[in-house]
Amino acid sequence: MAQVVPNTLKGFGVTLKQVFKKPLTQQYPEYKHPVYPRFRGRHRLHVHANGLEKCVGCSLCAAACPSDCIRVVAAENTPENRVSAGERYARIYEINLSRCIFCGYCELACPFDAITLGNDFEISEYNRDDLIYDKEMLLKEPVKKVPVADRSLYDTPIPYYRSHS
Amino acid sequence: MTDHVTLTIDERTVTVPKGTGLVETAQAAGIEIPVFCYEPRLGPPVGACRMCLVEIEGMPKLQAGCTLTAQEGMVVRTARTSPLASEGQNSTLEFILVNHPLDCPVCDKGGECPLQDLTFRYGPGNTRMTFDKRTQEKPIPLSPTIALDRERCILCYRCTRFSESVSEDNDLVPLNRGANTVIGTFEDQPYRSRFSGNVVELCPVGALTSTQYRFEARPWDIQESPSVCGLCPVGCNISATTREGKVKRIQSRNHPQIDEGWLCDKGRFTYGHLTAADRIKTPLLKGEAGFEPLEWDDALDQAETLLRAGGDTVVTAFSGTESTEQAYALGRLLRAGLGANGAVLPEEIPTALDAYRAPLSSIRDATTIVILTRDLVADRAPIVDLWVKAARRNGATILTEIPEEKLEDAVLISDNAAHAAWLAQDIDAKSAFYLPRTPNGRGVADAWSAAGDGEASNEEPRVVIVSGDDAAADPAVRALAAGADFVIGIGLFQESFEGLADLVLPATSYLERDGTTVNLEGRVQRQRRAVIAPCPDELAWISKLAERFEVEVSPHASLAFEEISGRIYGGVSFAEIGEQAPLPPAAEKGAPVPAPKPVQVPVADGLRVIRYRPLFSGPVVDRVPEVEFQKADHEVGMNPADARERGVIDGDMVTVNSRGNFHRFKARIVRDLPAGTVRLSTYAEGDLTEFVAVRK
Ligand code: SF4
Ligand code: SF4
Ligand code: SF4
Ligand code: SF4
Ligand code: FES
Repeated sequence: MAQVVPNTLKGFGVTLKQVFKKPLTQQYPEYKHPVYPRFRGRHRLHVHANGLEKCVGCSLCAAACPSDCIRVVAAENTPENRVSAGERYARIYEINLSRCIFCGYCELACPFDAITLGNDFEISEYNRDDLIYDKEMLLKEPVKKVPVADRSLYDTPIPYYRSHS
Repeated sequence: MTDHVTLTIDERTVTVPKGTGLVETAQAAGIEIPVFCYEPRLGPPVGACRMCLVEIEGMPKLQAGCTLTAQEGMVVRTARTSPLASEGQNSTLEFILVNHPLDCPVCDKGGECPLQDLTFRYGPGNTRMTFDKRTQEKPIPLSPTIALDRERCILCYRCTRFSESVSEDNDLVPLNRGANTVIGTFEDQPYRSRFSGNVVELCPVGALTSTQYRFEARPWDIQESPSVCGLCPVGCNISATTREGKVKRIQSRNHPQIDEGWLCDKGRFTYGHLTAADRIKTPLLKGEAGFEPLEWDDALDQAETLLRAGGDTVVTAFSGTESTEQAYALGRLLRAGLGANGAVLPEEIPTALDAYRAPLSSIRDATTIVILTRDLVADRAPIVDLWVKAARRNGATILTEIPEEKLEDAVLISDNAAHAAWLAQDIDAKSAFYLPRTPNGRGVADAWSAAGDGEASNEEPRVVIVSGDDAAADPAVRALAAGADFVIGIGLFQESFEGLADLVLPATSYLERDGTTVNLEGRVQRQRRAVIAPCPDELAWISKLAERFEVEVSPHASLAFEEISGRIYGGVSFAEIGEQAPLPPAAEKGAPVPAPKPVQVPVADGLRVIRYRPLFSGPVVDRVPEVEFQKADHEVGMNPADARERGVIDGDMVTVNSRGNFHRFKARIVRDLPAGTVRLSTYAEGDLTEFVAVRK
């Protein structure tokens, strides 16, 4: 019982000391802390320099996905409608981002580096259905971009798809 | 143990029956000898791919394991224990891949490809080949249903061996020689065979693929439903591949006694009928301007009113495409609810033939086969034709008429039930097969008899129920329906019932329902629902309708089958039928059957016309454009001798005429056709009479 008063004072002392320190808290969303260069966020589908889609609709990403959130429906390229370089292309390509765990397995599985995970994490929506990203959305630049830390500060290899396209 | 041999494989001792292939022997010892070209169903091994190289003590060089059989005292070492064999196998795989495009991401076989699997498990793991690979034009359409990719072909000759020594059409052949060999057809004709689709399943790589399944799904996207084909009386075991609720392909599910893993193209490629444009999805009522859709409650009211008006004069015309349970449910409703016992059954039940029951596979071992059919066997029951061909390759004698001398152990195949029943006794056949016209005519007849008894009313039918699209296309049924006040149709396609029915209720296809079907051997098999039908199940609404007539009909196929089974199939259950249905034992030989009246064959000048139903015909086939090229409606089949006499060769255009009616047909030489006859499809021009003249 005798210890109560000094202990309380000691506790307040700790609090009081912090008051005069510079705060560590960052005011998100006003301030956006740069993510690591290899941070895995929202996906992108890529195109070749000539405008053809890299994805050939092989579904390997869907096979690798542990949360089963990718749906690919393929179709055949025709001379009139050439979408990708190979025989087939993805007529439908959807990722349900509400189920995605951002593991990056899809990126590893893709034989054409067509799908990669970008850095952007600001993808919340009011409606779950809006989190199903179709091919058109995945081909576009993300609407909101987050700052990324300087690559040279970290041991970040240049991804193959950046050095080869 | 003289009929067994003992040998050593990879230091394991194994004893197998004499004559067992080395691949199977190794398997028995728990060792894999990888193969590409080896496929015992295609006849003797050819040793084309060399994937199966093994080292055998006492032989100077590596041997192709698939070409050898187990011998007493043999010492075999596979790539697992022999560095020599392993090196040989690695080189083989390297060679196979020299020109292989490895375009797995765009290849339909990807994920279920033996070449992928074996490259993963065997071989060097990376390549030393840095030069460009040979390229070819691709894909080449072999036919509207099959695409060929010559880059991917590893020249295992499975497809050409199938064409040469299973379906015996000899259409698919290797062209050129050596490294330039490619697979193709003569003069780039489409590969037109009743069994062409089997090569897609046989090809160990993605060289032969189905155009219908092209890019539709990946092995990890799909589900397989084990079922039974419902398009002919053979009842091949199939596996229906579905993705996202749609059937994407039909594959075989080897039942060694029925189909040995082969399917005909009708069973394999016509699932497109499920999504036909004129598929009936809601009840339809005939209105001023054609059919109008109807709510289900109103439709049942209408049906009830019509049935009450018909009373016991209602006659039901079946197609033989219904499941046994559906026919039973209808039978209960009509026989127990209305006392309407009149039915047009598609088939007579040849119960006397049950004493000669045998599995279809027994045909292969026959020494004498008597075939008495008007249609070619291949048009009625395609797979039976493959068994007959296998028997012929084994040296069996095939007779198309009854010889004078006594027959020993003959197998009888006939399309005339009464005649077959008598003849089987007369020649004391070993086994006898009756080839029905319809897939489940037998089950329907069984179900109808199990549903009640009583005589049909003598009055003219006031209401006729036309069940199924085949019945709707039958002229006899249409004539019967024309005399009735009202016609109720149950079917898949609207067009079948235009101008025929007053009320049409939607039906389900064999891929959309649970139930049983009885094949030509008398084997009860289970069909399973692969996809959800666009309309309620027949059993569901028949049971609702039956309630109004105070008859209890179960809406569940399993319960309906239990009732039927208790009455006529000796109480077997769904579970006992299982995925590979057993054949019920042959019945006791019954009382002698009276000889049927001999049929007088009329004689006149010219060639006698045999009208037949080609395999590729009927409402289901009509709705699948991909198999259009297989249709024989514009062809006349001729015996080789008759054709030679008239200077006609296969593919010529000929004029067929009788009594002043002239028509042009394409000539097809049909080896099995008796001399003095020509074959015309029932769908070909009808004004040609019984005897015709054929000119080039
Ligand atoms: S990141 Fe992982 S969970 Fe997300 S889509 Fe790719 S594989 Fe699936
Ligand atoms: S993103 Fe890559 S792995 Fe996925 S379907 Fe396209 S090509 Fe295949
Ligand atoms: S097409 Fe296929 S089955 Fe035919 S030889 Fe080539 S690899 Fe073999
Ligand atoms: S032979 Fe008959 S049962 Fe077999 S696949 Fe063809 S139509 Fe179906
Ligand atoms: S499997 Fe033996 S040579 Fe092909």
